[in-house]
Amino acid sequence: MDIGTIWDLIILEPVINSLIWLCSTLFDSFGLTVIVFTIFIMICMYPLTAKQLRATKGMQELQPKLAELQKKYGKDRQAMAREQMKLYKESGLSPAGCMLPMLVQMPVWIALYQSIIRVLAVTPEGFLSLSQYLYSWPIVYSTLPLANNFLWLDLATPDMFIALLVGGSMWLQQKMTMPRTADPKQRAQSQMMLWMMPMLFAFFCLSFPSGLALFWLTSTVIRIVMQYYMTGWGALAPAGAKGPGGRDERLKQRIAMEGGHKKEAPLDADIVEPVSTPEEELGYEESGDKRQDRGEGYPASFRPVSRQPRRSKGHRPKRR
Amino acid sequence: MWIKYNRILLSKVLLLLVILLVGGAAALGCARTGAVPRGWSGGAIADGTLFLGSMDGKLVAVDISDGSQRWDPVTLETSASAGGFGCAPTSTAVAIYGNLAVGEGLFYVGGYDGKIYAFNSSSGALRWIYPRQDALQPIVGGPLVALGKVYVGCSDGKLYALDAATGDYQWKFQTGDNIWSTPAIDGDTLFIGSFDKKLYALNAADGSKRWEFETEGAIVSTPLIYNNTVYIGSFDRYFYAIDTADGSLNWKFMAENWFWAKPVIYDDTVYAACLDGKVYALDAESGDKLAEIDLESPISSSPVAVDDLIIVASEEGEVYSIYTGDNHKRELMNLEVRVNAPLSASQGVVYIHTQEYEALYALNVQTGVVLWTLPLTSK
Repeated sequence: MDIGTIWDLIILEPVINSLIWLCSTLFDSFGLTVIVFTIFIMICMYPLTAKQLRATKGMQELQPKLAELQKKYGKDRQAMAREQMKLYKESGLSPAGCMLPMLVQMPVWIALYQSIIRVLAVTPEGFLSLSQYLYSWPIVYSTLPLANNFLWLDLATPDMFIALLVGGSMWLQQKMTMPRTADPKQRAQSQMMLWMMPMLFAFFCLSFPSGLALFWLTSTVIRIVMQYYMTGWGALAPAGAKGPGGRDERLKQRIAMEGGHKKEAPLDADIVEPVSTPEEELGYEESGDKRQDRGEGYPASFRPVSRQPRRSKGHRPKRR
Repeated sequence: MWIKYNRILLSKVLLLLVILLVGGAAALGCARTGAVPRGWSGGAIADGTLFLGSMDGKLVAVDISDGSQRWDPVTLETSASAGGFGCAPTSTAVAIYGNLAVGEGLFYVGGYDGKIYAFNSSSGALRWIYPRQDALQPIVGGPLVALGKVYVGCSDGKLYALDAATGDYQWKFQTGDNIWSTPAIDGDTLFIGSFDKKLYALNAADGSKRWEFETEGAIVSTPLIYNNTVYIGSFDRYFYAIDTADGSLNWKFMAENWFWAKPVIYDDTVYAACLDGKVYALDAESGDKLAEIDLESPISSSPVAVDDLIIVASEEGEVYSIYTGDNHKRELMNLEVRVNAPLSASQGVVYIHTQEYEALYALNVQTGVVLWTLPLTSK
């Protein structure tokens, strides 16, 4: 038995038949089936996704320290490597921590993707191929062929609008994960990823059945929501303002407050400390993001605001 | 180890990995899904000439005595091209499924581009196209020529009747879903199956409905009519025998997968090939199973009866003859290439149109010797 047969037997066939069964229970709507099935898969893979998001976030938070190390040991590669390893060890992170959950999830996504393509058979060749993946459940045989219409979409053909939606949502997700860094090289890398992936997927969507694009769109939207709850808006928040810190971060802050922990420089700050330019430092100072509560009452930069009487039409004093 | 400490290189590797994974997944996802229509035309034989459509949209007229071509191939091309990547079709060649039809000096082709074509049989010159402008939805079933008309089902769910000589529109009948089945006629009654799970009996003159019979699955296979009974298989895995007069069920037989191929009959025994890889020999009157011939590979190609033999080809390219006397199979040849197209036969020779390595084989059914081979696509 070759690997392709094993893959078909233990992965593709169950997914394909589950999709068809689900479709028969969801009013014969394959669009709805794709959405519900994607949500189900996302829930099943939540622990892995959460791990990946946390690891990514942790890596981002290490960036200032790494930048410092680079600045300090820039020419001594051995020393830098040693210090970096020490830093990773101390923080309990490793670069592979981001990739491993992603790699584990990859076969699941490929299986789902292949199943959707097969179930959305349009051509006679597609139907013949699909016939070899079916279980002997009567419901499977009576449900096929599936209705391809969902909202404005013909799920079997590409659609420009959903391609744009996929590209846009992927851009948002990429932007949320993008580290804020002063390192121009890394910034360039991030920018490339920010545009490359959404454009790549939007291009795919123009060539693939829109049912597949619906799957990509659903999974990306769910990821955005998960990401928001875990790490906040990330780089999507305005540069000067501290956005919602995400559920994890808010929880950490609350625990820190309640437990009386007062760190000098919280490691999990959303914004990476700039390495060099005084202008940027000024920017942070003005925005107030770097103010720290040193436990000495109000920070020095805090100035009491004296209330001025509001002069608007609604509060104009009455003439006597 | 050095990768671990080089962030920039790591980012590049990550990006490359993601692109490779997505690209690889896209390519793998398309593989074996059949997302691109290629076609598998069956041949139509008349006056010693076999008319066939190739997978690159070429129409050929082959002298069945030696495999030479009567005239230069005619290429059908569509101006519409979609996609350019992934599973979308990239070719402008018109895919042709089902058998071509021959009648009164013309032969007829239904194209996946949603057009019906009529060509001069002796020269290959185009006679007419329907519709003349725009196009219908893809046509998968073959045309049927009878009573001076061409009948063809379309993926828009309609059965069209056109004047065979001029291509003028006569009437149409709307079903509830795609029609991929080729119509069949008995007297003045036309039979057509649809994706809406129904078999329709229509008045061939005006398209009015006589009766309908509902199954539990879509119908793609072409009906067979014999002794006032219409035999047809469905996607619900049942093979049905239905009375042609009123559409009442005589009997039904359950297999393990879809019925795609048109059944064939010999001496009151119906041979129904199934995608479960078996040919079922059923008593035409009672539906009793007389034999089950396992080819161990799905069968989508319609078998043919030649003398007292049933010739059948599996998708894997194995060609068998089933002797109707004892229903035992004998392997004639293993072509080792995919066969989906309906078989054609004439004077003890069966003509097989293969798909992967596209060629037309002429095979002597008694000896299993290949008489000639005509390569059809250079790709």
